[in-house]
Amino acid sequence: MVWLYVLPVSAVFLFVFVGPLIYTAWTALHETSYYQIGKFSGLNSFARLFSDSDLPSRIWTTLVFSLGALVIALPAGLLSAIVLNNLHRFKRSVRSLFLLPWLMSQATAGTIWLWFLNPNYGPASAITKSLGFGPTDVFSTPTSALVAVTLMTAWWSYPQAMLLFLGALQTIPEELRESLKVDGGGIWHQFVNITLPYLRNTIVSVVVVLLMLYVQMVTIILVTTRGGPIGSTETLSMRVYNQMFDKFDLSGASATAILLFAVNIVLTLVAIRFRRKESL
Amino acid sequence: MSITTPRRQRRLGSFIRAVPAWAYIILSATVVLPPVAWIVSTSLKTGSGTLEFPPKWIPAPFSSEGYVGLLTSTNIRFFVNSLIYAGGSIVLALAICIPAAYVATRYRSRRMETLMTGILVLSMVPAIVVFIALYSMFVKTALINTYPMMIIVYTAIICGQTILFLRNFIENIPVEIEEAAAIDGCSRMQILWRIILPLIRPGIAAVAIFIFVFVWNDFLVGTVLATTEDMKTVQNGIVRYITTGFGSFWGLFAAFIVVAFIPVLSIFLAFQRWFVAGMTSGGVKG
Repeated sequence: MVWLYVLPVSAVFLFVFVGPLIYTAWTALHETSYYQIGKFSGLNSFARLFSDSDLPSRIWTTLVFSLGALVIALPAGLLSAIVLNNLHRFKRSVRSLFLLPWLMSQATAGTIWLWFLNPNYGPASAITKSLGFGPTDVFSTPTSALVAVTLMTAWWSYPQAMLLFLGALQTIPEELRESLKVDGGGIWHQFVNITLPYLRNTIVSVVVVLLMLYVQMVTIILVTTRGGPIGSTETLSMRVYNQMFDKFDLSGASATAILLFAVNIVLTLVAIRFRRKESL
Repeated sequence: MSITTPRRQRRLGSFIRAVPAWAYIILSATVVLPPVAWIVSTSLKTGSGTLEFPPKWIPAPFSSEGYVGLLTSTNIRFFVNSLIYAGGSIVLALAICIPAAYVATRYRSRRMETLMTGILVLSMVPAIVVFIALYSMFVKTALINTYPMMIIVYTAIICGQTILFLRNFIENIPVEIEEAAAIDGCSRMQILWRIILPLIRPGIAAVAIFIFVFVWNDFLVGTVLATTEDMKTVQNGIVRYITTGFGSFWGLFAAFIVVAFIPVLSIFLAFQRWFVAGMTSGGVKG
């Protein structure tokens, strides 16, 4: 009778996750045209995926985007959490300030930066022009577009890392810190000898949480560059979207989706390995 | 003199120690605030004011043009839709997750743990992976562009985190209360309804806040699974200005963003603690 209580949840998950995953695998094994499933084609769409000369550059983009955002968001999140944890006055205001980007939706974060960086009317452009550089046309060249999208994603996501770190920091026993203060240790000393070792597991799980977020990020890229210019910001997730809704290539999109799913499974396994109650 | 000097030194010392922290806070403010201030400023400009260059940070003249222009039936529909999706998802997710979280906490078995791990792992599958299949399945049937389908999809995405969070709450309830109730002849359903439910009210509130913010802020579900404009969400409403905009739409766009952000901001300011608890319980979102 106990199973009756989990039946509705299981049904919803079968319908929204298990079914579609099987369907995706099924369509990847068939020819498709405009979402119509044709005849069985074996591993053809995977052969097409792995022989695609664009694939290495898409994987490279995914790596640059994910690791780039991680390298910024992780230290920013940790530093913000430590600053906030040691703050005695204006704590609520500073926390709200730090959290502000993340309170906004991804679509908002992407579009407000788009408007801020607008080459014709934006204030960023006014600054660069007055300094003698041209307008800030960051989304028109491949490298600067990728950098911009990565920075925006880091900007939006660092508060999430901060919250996870903050939760862990508050569990550091007070005696541990007091003992160091008696020994006359400075802030840096305290950070290296107590905070970092104490946070080791949290750091790993924050890394995994952020990487999963970045690998599946579609919205911020979709509202700013749609993967362009010339595919320079097309991560694997964005490629799934573009293949599906731009090129109407269902089996190609499905094959890429399976690849993305495999990457995600690896990350999930790491996440479960380092699972902490509050962070996963 | 001899007493006050060390105290003053200590105060000076703590002041100096606070300098790097405040330097960091000011640096963060200069990174976080400009685009936000720029949007607020734009929302208060006239149509031609938004296209001035070099740009002015203080609108001159102030104008409510952007906000007044938002009152169209299309825009109201976006907000109503998002409210329906959020409200429906809160009700459905709580209705199916509370019983699951309850039995998963109180009736532990290997198979139950396997099922819960399965749910957790599945809820971490990238949304875009299942969306392409859902889209191509829905588009062939009459299921696309329907409120129930949208609500079920939103619910499925947040269920894993909801169950995890509720389990932590139920775990903290002493089993003895339930045992006593069972001796008095309460059935399992009655225990859940009469004893557990009132005790986990704070948890339910936190989860409801989390679900509301998730659905309100989500862009992708509305983009993929709502193909007609009358089913789109608030976030689609924002991005619409960028993708289909012509003329001077920036004032409207900025005002729309400000209005769309107000519900989330007020919930955050009113329930900071629950808000943070609910949002960090799950880890992955987006």
